[in-house]
Amino acid sequence: MGAAAAVAAPAALRLSFRTVFRLLLTRGRLIALGLLGLVAVIVGWAVGISVEPADQLDAGADVMAGLGLAVLIPVVTLVFASASLGDLRDDSTLVYLWLRPMDRWPLAVGAFAASFAVAAPLTLVPLAIGTALTGAGAALVGASILAGLVAVAAYSAVFVLLGLVLRRALMWGLAYVLIWEGFVAAAGAGAARVAIRAYTRSIVYGLTEATTDTTTMSVPTAIIVPLLVAAGALALASWWLGRTDID
Amino acid sequence: MTATATPPPDSTPTAAPRIVVDDVSKWFRDVVAVSEVSFTVGPGVTALLGPNGAGKSTLFRVLCGLVPPSRGTVRVLGGDPRRDRELRGRIGLVPQQDALFESFTAADFVRLAGATHGVADPDGAARAALGLVELDPDDHRPCSAYSKGMRQRVKVAAALVHDPEVVILDEPLTGLDPLQRRRMITLFQRLGSEGRCVLVSSHVLDEVARLGSRILVIAQGRLAASGDFRALRELMDDRPHRIQVRTDHPDRLAVGLIEAGVAVGIHIEEDGLVVDTRDADAFGRRIAPVARDHDARLREVTPLDDDLESVFRYLVERR
Repeated sequence: MGAAAAVAAPAALRLSFRTVFRLLLTRGRLIALGLLGLVAVIVGWAVGISVEPADQLDAGADVMAGLGLAVLIPVVTLVFASASLGDLRDDSTLVYLWLRPMDRWPLAVGAFAASFAVAAPLTLVPLAIGTALTGAGAALVGASILAGLVAVAAYSAVFVLLGLVLRRALMWGLAYVLIWEGFVAAAGAGAARVAIRAYTRSIVYGLTEATTDTTTMSVPTAIIVPLLVAAGALALASWWLGRTDID
Repeated sequence: MTATATPPPDSTPTAAPRIVVDDVSKWFRDVVAVSEVSFTVGPGVTALLGPNGAGKSTLFRVLCGLVPPSRGTVRVLGGDPRRDRELRGRIGLVPQQDALFESFTAADFVRLAGATHGVADPDGAARAALGLVELDPDDHRPCSAYSKGMRQRVKVAAALVHDPEVVILDEPLTGLDPLQRRRMITLFQRLGSEGRCVLVSSHVLDEVARLGSRILVIAQGRLAASGDFRALRELMDDRPHRIQVRTDHPDRLAVGLIEAGVAVGIHIEEDGLVVDTRDADAFGRRIAPVARDHDARLREVTPLDDDLESVFRYLVERR
């Protein structure tokens, strides 16, 4: 047996990332959520062949924002991010990463990074392909990818925290995505300020000539605010890991 | 041997205590799991004995810093296990729960434990730790394919991979076959003889008897007794025993047992007696001659309280 020592933050971050990443990759999740991504591709293709070229930008932006940013990214990210630490807490295996001579924040950030690393390709690739198939042009594809990156980052951090703090995080996350962001935030500008989707939509419409969105957020605001929310969620998750009871 | 919560179980009085628990209580909302417990533990093997639900696992969680005490203080190797980051690298824990990282192999799991403890050579340390518990480091099956006993041994290997000074094992013998159980007990004794502080919980008296001489008895969240195991056995032998005797003439036999002075209380039933005696051995020797002398036929003699629960109950109520 070898002598132990405190684990430096970079090593702790790498270890927690690798461990959570490996635990998240289950065949069932990958197949189910991969099929959801396929829907975005098929819808993009359907828009591309059915809409007049003059309307393809607006139609493409609406479909990708309405499907990709409103459903695909938040749901896929929710499944992985809420499970990243939430599953470990629920099955009492969190102790195998918690009772270690490591700081708490690498565990939270590593779980976030693992969730991002799994969810990003599963969502951004079909989103980019679907957007390209709408025929709306490279600008919409680029805007969708940028908005998608911001969305995956923000949702990953928020749902890592949610999974850590709440039992049935999946249910609460779906309620947030479908009810709050889908209905409540869509009804007023005030509520939209606390909806990640409102910011990511603003990136898409702010960076393209699409005209069907009435948002007034600037693109820098729409990028920076979700990333600040992500940083805050990770700080809160790190703090929570230090004070919560471990089974 | 005492039935109070004060005396330390250190076998070597000069050894500095590795674990100091001072007036610790832990409650979850309105449920008290551990109540006003104080003890110290030094190097060597100490067994924490108690029935299921007595508070053993909660006490271990407090010792490892997994939950803070609601009241009182805990010091492990002089530090606060809840706040001291480096201290966590000097503790090895086998938790009670069965869960592992199911998709990992045993070697992966133990290697990860080594790496997250900052071991310089996690792979080599994992192979050595798995060797200690007689598991094959080259077994490519995931932990989900392992039996209960093998999973226990994986957990023990993961707890030992970083060569901890304090080893806390929560029911580590559960699920092991008799041979593995014996080997594991030998391993724990060896760790203790090397100067480590090894604290092992169990609800099985015979396991504790083989683990070592120092014990802490916990019941209903309170420390019922602490000290030398042999003294506890003597205390158990001194307590009143309740024995059921089935016979065709309960009244005659009751008179004979009272005359023989081996019964302190008798309850006569339709087909027998329930006898309280302070000396079970003497009762065992005298029951047959007394029955013969009083022309009573013995059908069955059964101890009613020769189980661990009754020992705990006696220790707690006696206090």
